[in-house]
Amino acid sequence: MTSDGTLAAAPARRVMATALPALGVALLWAFLAVFLVYPLLRVFYDAFSNEAGRLTLENFVAFAGDAFYRRSLWNSLLLGLGTVVATSILGVAIALLLVRYEFPGRRLFGYLTLIPIISPPLVGVLGFTFIMGKAGTVNILLEDWLGLAKPINFVYGIHGVLLVETLHLFPMITLNVVDALGRIDPSLEEAAESVGSRGWQKLCTITLPLTTPGYVAGALLVFIWTFSDFATPLVLGVHDLLASQAYLDIVQFVDRRLFRMGLVISALMVALAIVFLIAARRYVAIKDYSSLSYSRVARRRLGPLAAAGAVTFLSAVMAFSFVPYLGVALASVGRGWSMTPFPVRYTGLFFARVIVETPKYIVNSFLYSALAVVLCIAVGVPIAWILARTRLPGRDTLDGLNTLILAVPGTAIGIAYIRAFHAELPWLGIPLTSLWIILPIVLAVRRLPYTVRGSYASLLLVHRSMEEAAASVGARGLRSFGDVTLPLIWRGVLVGALFSFMTSLQEASAVLFLSLGGWETIPVGIFAFYIAGSANEAAALGVILIAVAAVSVLVINRLAGARMGGMFG
Amino acid sequence: MKIALREVTKRYGTTIAVDRVSLDIGDGELFTLLGPSGCGKTTLLRMLAGFAAVDGGEIRFGDRRVDRLPPYERNIGMVFQNYALWPHMTVRGNVTYGLRLRKLTAAEIGRRLAGGLAKVNLSGLEDRYPGQLSGGQQQRVALARALVLNPDILLLDEPLSNLDAKIRVQVRGEIRALQRDLGITTVYVTHDQEEALSLSDRVAVMREGRVQQVAAPKALYERPANRFVADFVGTNNFIPGVVRERADGHAIVETPLGRVRAGPGDVALGGACVLAVRPENVALDGAGDNRVEGRIRLAAYLGNTLRYDVEMAGGLVLKVDVGDPWRHELLPAGHGVCVTFPAAATLVLRDD
Repeated sequence: MTSDGTLAAAPARRVMATALPALGVALLWAFLAVFLVYPLLRVFYDAFSNEAGRLTLENFVAFAGDAFYRRSLWNSLLLGLGTVVATSILGVAIALLLVRYEFPGRRLFGYLTLIPIISPPLVGVLGFTFIMGKAGTVNILLEDWLGLAKPINFVYGIHGVLLVETLHLFPMITLNVVDALGRIDPSLEEAAESVGSRGWQKLCTITLPLTTPGYVAGALLVFIWTFSDFATPLVLGVHDLLASQAYLDIVQFVDRRLFRMGLVISALMVALAIVFLIAARRYVAIKDYSSLSYSRVARRRLGPLAAAGAVTFLSAVMAFSFVPYLGVALASVGRGWSMTPFPVRYTGLFFARVIVETPKYIVNSFLYSALAVVLCIAVGVPIAWILARTRLPGRDTLDGLNTLILAVPGTAIGIAYIRAFHAELPWLGIPLTSLWIILPIVLAVRRLPYTVRGSYASLLLVHRSMEEAAASVGARGLRSFGDVTLPLIWRGVLVGALFSFMTSLQEASAVLFLSLGGWETIPVGIFAFYIAGSANEAAALGVILIAVAAVSVLVINRLAGARMGGMFG
Repeated sequence: MKIALREVTKRYGTTIAVDRVSLDIGDGELFTLLGPSGCGKTTLLRMLAGFAAVDGGEIRFGDRRVDRLPPYERNIGMVFQNYALWPHMTVRGNVTYGLRLRKLTAAEIGRRLAGGLAKVNLSGLEDRYPGQLSGGQQQRVALARALVLNPDILLLDEPLSNLDAKIRVQVRGEIRALQRDLGITTVYVTHDQEEALSLSDRVAVMREGRVQQVAAPKALYERPANRFVADFVGTNNFIPGVVRERADGHAIVETPLGRVRAGPGDVALGGACVLAVRPENVALDGAGDNRVEGRIRLAAYLGNTLRYDVEMAGGLVLKVDVGDPWRHELLPAGHGVCVTFPAAATLVLRDD
């Protein structure tokens, strides 16, 4: 380009330079307003209004007056708290072992603990029923060997939900606490030792309190997740939980009163998420304990006995966590698996059924998730840019909304979308809920935070002065972005996008509410097959989902190392 | 409480961080470990505290051998470079933590808290969190936290390095006054030679794990034991040479500047040495035992002094300080000058 050309184009360029970004920012806000804020507000409006559209508290009065809902609420709260306690004990213990001690296989266990959290929850439940169910492997073996007369009920019931949720969610705590432990300045602990603190005392009064910001974030997510998960309880036959009720109330489209109750529950979930989020942000904001420390607390080598104990403990946890995958894998290829510990014959029939006969599950899943990721990148990278690089007004709100998405349960979003987009669109004459494009949209909104966080984190690593240096030697806005910024951040963007993709494939809750005939994704298929009694087909789909997750994680690990903790905080 | 170190050694893999250090620190003394980063001073302090294991030698506090004891059994108070205040505890919580661990009565804890905060002029800030305090205040909380336990030994690891220059000087004075009032044996680590000189009773200069010299500040500055110390403490001009004669308490040294009269030193006749003369002892066109012609190359105005780089014949550059720039006309680069320095202020050091 000659300098003359540059000069001539300058005025037009200047207009573009101010108008285009403004338009882009406006589009971002419009997207979030329409597909996040409006549906959530709509749920509140519906919960606080009657059929005539008048504002009222009668729905809440009805909810509170119904003993069944009260019991469900109580059960849900108990389950949530119980899961937080159980995951905390497990998660903190594992985090301490991984960060503070050296023993054989430590690195391997570090990787393995990540796996439960990135594997599809629905598949996990399924697997438990195959192995630990009433006619599952464990009970059959017990009957065969010990002559057990009646099978032990390991999983059906609220204790089973607690077990499954705990084994699925403990990494959420581990990841956050590992991260927090790694950032504790060793001198804080040395200072404690210098005034006479040691062992458990030091752990409880200094070390653990210092991990609270990270821990609280993890614990809140665990609570919200458990509180709003309906698929796990329903597979395990537990109906008297709020989330289960919300699902059952919403998917029956007959009784308006029940439908309202579903909306009330959804509103409760959103309110809970918002309150928790604000509480967490306040708490974390006043208690930012992270320090820019150059050193870490040295790992202590465990003695042979203690090391054996640690390895046994971790192996046991891992074995338990992997039980489901074994079960799912066996069920996907096994025939005649009843009353025997393992299948008697093996077949590829179920895979043929879900891949060849009805390829729609896989096709839909990949299509919707791919579109969702495109949306995630289109919306998420600019948001990350705004957060990391600008002082635009509303930046904090943007950040808050992005975090809010992590906290708002899929159940609530699914219900919110049903209500928000059932009105007929102008020109088209049909509602958005009748168009399959709503699925990629809801997936994109649900998984947006991962892309934003991945991009944001890597943008922070590109110091602004690097871009300024490029500008100082003559690179203009987009040019310096393309030549300097992009090569430095693409990994982070890709990692975030892959994470969004993988979790989109696994999304069950929101999609279950919105999916219509012909739109079924893999998780919807799993749920439908299992509820309909075709557990083997469900298992085959589960194996496919796990395989995709495994490949994604391998790629992510290659790109980003094992530092995925930031994705969940 | 006296501190005695005998042949104390620390290895990290094949590198020796602290190499057979022996020191005797007197009761109530403020003793400073001074050296560049990586010289082993912090490692040595951490061995005194018990945070780093001793690989060889022994450490005694008074008559008690402590090198195998964990930190909490040594009765030390330590102030960390970044203060290491526990962010989840208030000032009160931080200061009284150790007292509470010792199961003292509430009244005693309250009394010691008040006393400790009064010592560091922080009364009234009990309920603040560390994040709400300035750097200087945090530093004092750390000091109070170390002192309320009535430790035998106070260990300070670069306690002033995170403070602004002005506050640093102020807190430095406070630490010195407090230490003297309490009469507590104190080991102070710093890489800042000015800090070391200004507040220490004695200073040990370290390099690559070994102690180079132990001396009171004045002796250290005026009679450095070797070139490293002369270079690290303050600023020096170094002139290589060979000792030719010794007469009436002076050495005559052959240098690129000609024959120079210097202090006696202990380098043998005919031996290679290096002369060290401080910029403030060099004068322009003044009187002195040694006179050399040179040319101004660079002038740096520092406010209280004016420093000239004067290029001598043969390319050697001497730094010359003019102590009173107010009365001095700035000389332009290229201006010819006559540089003088006295024999007494010219040290003969072994070239190491």
